[in-house]
Amino acid sequence: MAEKILEIKDLCVEFNTDRGRIRAVNGVNLEVFKGKTLGVVGESGSGKSVTALSIMRLIPTPPGRIANGTIDYRGENLLEIPFDEMRRIRGNKIAMIFQEPMTSLNPVFTVGNQIEEVIELHQSELSKEQRKEKAVEMLKLVGIPSPEQRVTEYPHQLSGGMRQRVMIAMSLACEPDILIADEPTTALDVTIQAQILELMNKLQKELGMGIIMITHDLGVVAETCDDVAVMYCGQIVERADVKTLFNHPQHPYTKGLMESIPSFDSTSGQTKGRLPTIEGMVPSLFDLPDGCNFQDRCKNVTDKCRGSEGEPKLREISPGHDAACFHPLS
Amino acid sequence: MSEYILEVNNLTKRFPINGGIFGREVGAVSAVNNVSFKIKKGETLGLVGESGCGKTTLGRSLLRLIEPTSGEVKFNGTDITSLDKDGMREMRRKMQIIFQDPYASLNPRMTVGGILAEPMEIHKLFMDKQERHKRLLQLLDQVQLPSDALNKYPHEFSGGQRQRICIARALAVEPEFIVCDEPVSALDVSVQAQVVNLMMDLQKDLGLTYLFIAHDLKVVEYISNRVAVMYLGNMVEVAKSSELYGAARHPYTKALFSAIPNPNPNVNPDRIILEGDIPSPMNPPSGCHFHPRCWNATDECRSAYPPVTELSADHAYRCFNPNQV
Repeated sequence: MAEKILEIKDLCVEFNTDRGRIRAVNGVNLEVFKGKTLGVVGESGSGKSVTALSIMRLIPTPPGRIANGTIDYRGENLLEIPFDEMRRIRGNKIAMIFQEPMTSLNPVFTVGNQIEEVIELHQSELSKEQRKEKAVEMLKLVGIPSPEQRVTEYPHQLSGGMRQRVMIAMSLACEPDILIADEPTTALDVTIQAQILELMNKLQKELGMGIIMITHDLGVVAETCDDVAVMYCGQIVERADVKTLFNHPQHPYTKGLMESIPSFDSTSGQTKGRLPTIEGMVPSLFDLPDGCNFQDRCKNVTDKCRGSEGEPKLREISPGHDAACFHPLS
Repeated sequence: MSEYILEVNNLTKRFPINGGIFGREVGAVSAVNNVSFKIKKGETLGLVGESGCGKTTLGRSLLRLIEPTSGEVKFNGTDITSLDKDGMREMRRKMQIIFQDPYASLNPRMTVGGILAEPMEIHKLFMDKQERHKRLLQLLDQVQLPSDALNKYPHEFSGGQRQRICIARALAVEPEFIVCDEPVSALDVSVQAQVVNLMMDLQKDLGLTYLFIAHDLKVVEYISNRVAVMYLGNMVEVAKSSELYGAARHPYTKALFSAIPNPNPNVNPDRIILEGDIPSPMNPPSGCHFHPRCWNATDECRSAYPPVTELSADHAYRCFNPNQV
């Protein structure tokens, strides 16, 4: 069993808005292991990005507030350590890459400057020359051609895929324990996405970091993750290793998501049948139903789901496979 | 009447690049380069390619929302590139477009009723008040929205519902042909499937013809009868959607489809990872534009642009060294 490096317990994050208080993350438990990738899947508003930002303590406060829970990183609760110490961990031990590589890079500094800044902040013992060398080395690591040249260029001179590589180079400059990737390839084309995902897999093998892969693309999950948590309305509804989850989904939401992706196994080439869908839409966080949040869209709904026995808790269906459903599928 | 509703011959769109103090033309981007294709009545032609390959420019040139530089677009036998402004407006009643972003393409100050009535107003359709109302309700029913939507504003709807409103607006003037420019890209997976189903139902009921532009290859493959693949302004392959995945001839098509992450962890993907980025369209490579990234490239590919090879009526490609199937 790999070493557990991060454990999130019962995390709740609330936001105050004009229309009242909402719970964007409600009782989330997650574990990250060394050298493994944890996938967090869900649709917009399911709370996956807020979970990631909580780990980095980057929730804007106010309006946001971590209402409950602990985030345990190698024996320390990240939510309680002083701000200065958090700053030393952030970027150094736990790094993050964001979805949009253009807006996450500063347009008025060269790529080299920005990578060197990270190194300067966290590895102050290195001299200026050493930092420069390290920046070039990092660009080489992420497969950017002619890194000596690129290091002097500005973000607008690079393509989208290159910028995301620079982001990865920056986040890996301090050889973090944990890399949080928030939709790292969503803004990229498929051929570039394939390059970036392959790069991340390769770097993980070399550096042995744990990765939290946040995405809405089940294809990306199937190809990169070891374990998967599916989120819906701020809660984890199902959690298992990747093969178990895809082969035997227990929660109707997980199954619905998988079915609604068109697959390539069709052979006719003529008009195909209808895609299976999940009816309706995600309920508003302001107005969540009693009981199961998925009840209005679920085909197997019963009175139990409508709140007579409270909301379904995440429970073990089979060893290593948890689902929050009163009527798991098999 | 021919079986083709749309015939495009050698369509080209060049965007000049002006520079220097006198704003002289210093170069040009060929966003769409000598593209020819046909769409059958009632068919869906998918159009795929990576960002910047010219698929949106092509879609808009068909309606002359972007004026093509040269070439011919024949709609039901009429060359629309030679029509004057009034003639074109009349023609657009038959040709509509749905845009990608349902948040940006609806006027936030108009009610849904107003939005849907505007195209009818322009084309002087359903001028009788009661008939107009009946038509509005019928449109909402067709896209499965409740009738009380008429008096609501766009912000009161979710992304998927807004895209339904956009679809209803395109249907308002009873078009024959709709350019769908990334209609489901901004939607969540579960909602995306609903909208795809709706569009397929409408096509069946109303006999519509679609040009379906998207970068999500799985959705395109699903909804289309045939799929066209573009790379740097050129159409490199057209084939039946069932053939494209397994029997692609152009190496780019093969690489593109193999790059899609497979939502099945049990199979190991046989993946072709392309090296490098798409070259700049301002300065495209010589010969076949794909040769710097192609593993089959020969000297011939570096010097000449490959002509169209027609395998069958539905399958054509531009490549000197196609994949053997």
